Amino acid sequence: MEAILQYLLTGLSVGSVYAMVGLGFYVMWSAAKAVNFNFGDIVMLGAVLTVVLMDVGVPLLPACLGAVAAAALLAAAIERGFVRPFNREANAIGWMLTTIAVGTMIESATTALFGSNPRRLETPLVEAPLRIGGSGIYPQELLLPVALLVVAVGLEFFYRRTITGRAMRAVAYNRTAAGLVGIDADRMTLLSFGLAGLLGALSGVLIGPVIQASATMGAIIGLKGFLVAIIAGIANARGVVIAGVLYGVSEKFIEAYLSTAARDAIGFSLMVLLLLLFPQGLFGKAEFKKV
Amino acid sequence: MSAPLLQAEGIRVSYGRIEAVRGVDLHVGAGEFVGVIGSNGAGKSSLMRAIAGVLSPAGGRVAFGGEDTTGQPSHRMVARGLAMVPEGRMIFADQTVRENLLLGGYSRLRSDPQGVAADEDRMLTLFPRLKERLAQEAGTLSGGEQQMLAIARGLLSRPRLLVIDELSLGLAPVILDMLFPVLAQLNKEGLSILLVEQMASYALSVTDRTYVMENGRMLFDGASRELANDPRVLDAYLGRRKAA
Repeated sequence: MEAILQYLLTGLSVGSVYAMVGLGFYVMWSAAKAVNFNFGDIVMLGAVLTVVLMDVGVPLLPACLGAVAAAALLAAAIERGFVRPFNREANAIGWMLTTIAVGTMIESATTALFGSNPRRLETPLVEAPLRIGGSGIYPQELLLPVALLVVAVGLEFFYRRTITGRAMRAVAYNRTAAGLVGIDADRMTLLSFGLAGLLGALSGVLIGPVIQASATMGAIIGLKGFLVAIIAGIANARGVVIAGVLYGVSEKFIEAYLSTAARDAIGFSLMVLLLLLFPQGLFGKAEFKKV
Repeated sequence: MSAPLLQAEGIRVSYGRIEAVRGVDLHVGAGEFVGVIGSNGAGKSSLMRAIAGVLSPAGGRVAFGGEDTTGQPSHRMVARGLAMVPEGRMIFADQTVRENLLLGGYSRLRSDPQGVAADEDRMLTLFPRLKERLAQEAGTLSGGEQQMLAIARGLLSRPRLLVIDELSLGLAPVILDMLFPVLAQLNKEGLSILLVEQMASYALSVTDRTYVMENGRMLFDGASRELANDPRVLDAYLGRRKAA
């Protein structure tokens, strides 16, 4: 019983990261019908830049804020430089290659500058585990689902209640019509990638203390975020949150009852199977085809 | 007469190797109500898209309000005072009627929020049916209501020229009998309108002047009242093809 509670809590925690990264993919896809495939690098930079800033003496919280802001700006810059020029025609696919290319560059540069060893991201929330019904969990890990909740509610509010959010939804629904009411669709797309970058970098900062910061930490998180976004049906934010959390929890149970080594093999196989059964994603509906 | 509000010269639009518009001239004077008729595939919509900045013309020049606006993107054209109600209406179906109206005023929402609110009220007086549906998702509206919403949304940017692409598309005559007088009224109040319409009889009955377009070229133009009795128009557009 205690063990099960443990798996649930840690699963909820890691699943919240997948969900937040998945939401980043959702935000990018909505605006651009394209994504930054190496979005995991933005996640990574959130954590790595925090460590770097703390190295030069910046206190924890300002370092987190600075790192998230810088990574989000970079995410927006990637849209401008590596997505927009390669996503001009309908059904363009150039952005797939260019975002993977720029991601690989970022990762190599980070390895060169930051070193290849993982570093600890020290926060007061990973000093001692909490005991909850016999299971141990760091407060930092409990912060993740709380952050996910705040992010998800905040995103919903932004899209539904603010004029910029509504304009972004208008662009997502019909770019031509958005332009015809005076919305600069390119600018909204740039903003969307910046917003996605905020989500990605924030999840990196939050998971950094739990798994350590390294140049390669983003790759698998980014991939799993993409995976849960696809499984959910990428155009459904709530679905992405649910799929992310469920995937995190399932992982922990697979680790516990089967093996850690088999975790990703089994997890990814399950996802492929689900996608076979639900080609539009679990919560998705057929994308509206425009002529 | 001073320079017209909209002046398009030698407009060409191509999609790959296909040339949809082949050197077309068109102008709309301030306060004028101008129609463009022609059969399906004549290039009318492509011409409108080039004028409104939805696409960049392959050749020619567009001037609006006396300034060269060739190739300007649509969101800039809206800010300059040219709004277009696109073919197929393109309302934001996943947002409410009120949100659609709000987005219609997007270009001046920050500088003039009271003005947008006042115009919203005006639109609801103009189209009372929308008032009952304010909180509904726009996708649940009937075709006629969606067209009303698309027109109201276009007007909320307070344009000097309203371009309407295929007003009648998919709409019942009873709705058209309601919509055309509203356009005539708006024009009387000073709004310049450029209306693309396949239903030639409707267009000729409300507009001042009409262009006839076929195969990417302007065939001729003239006062709508005269064209309504012109044998060339009678044969091709008004004869047996009343409901085409």
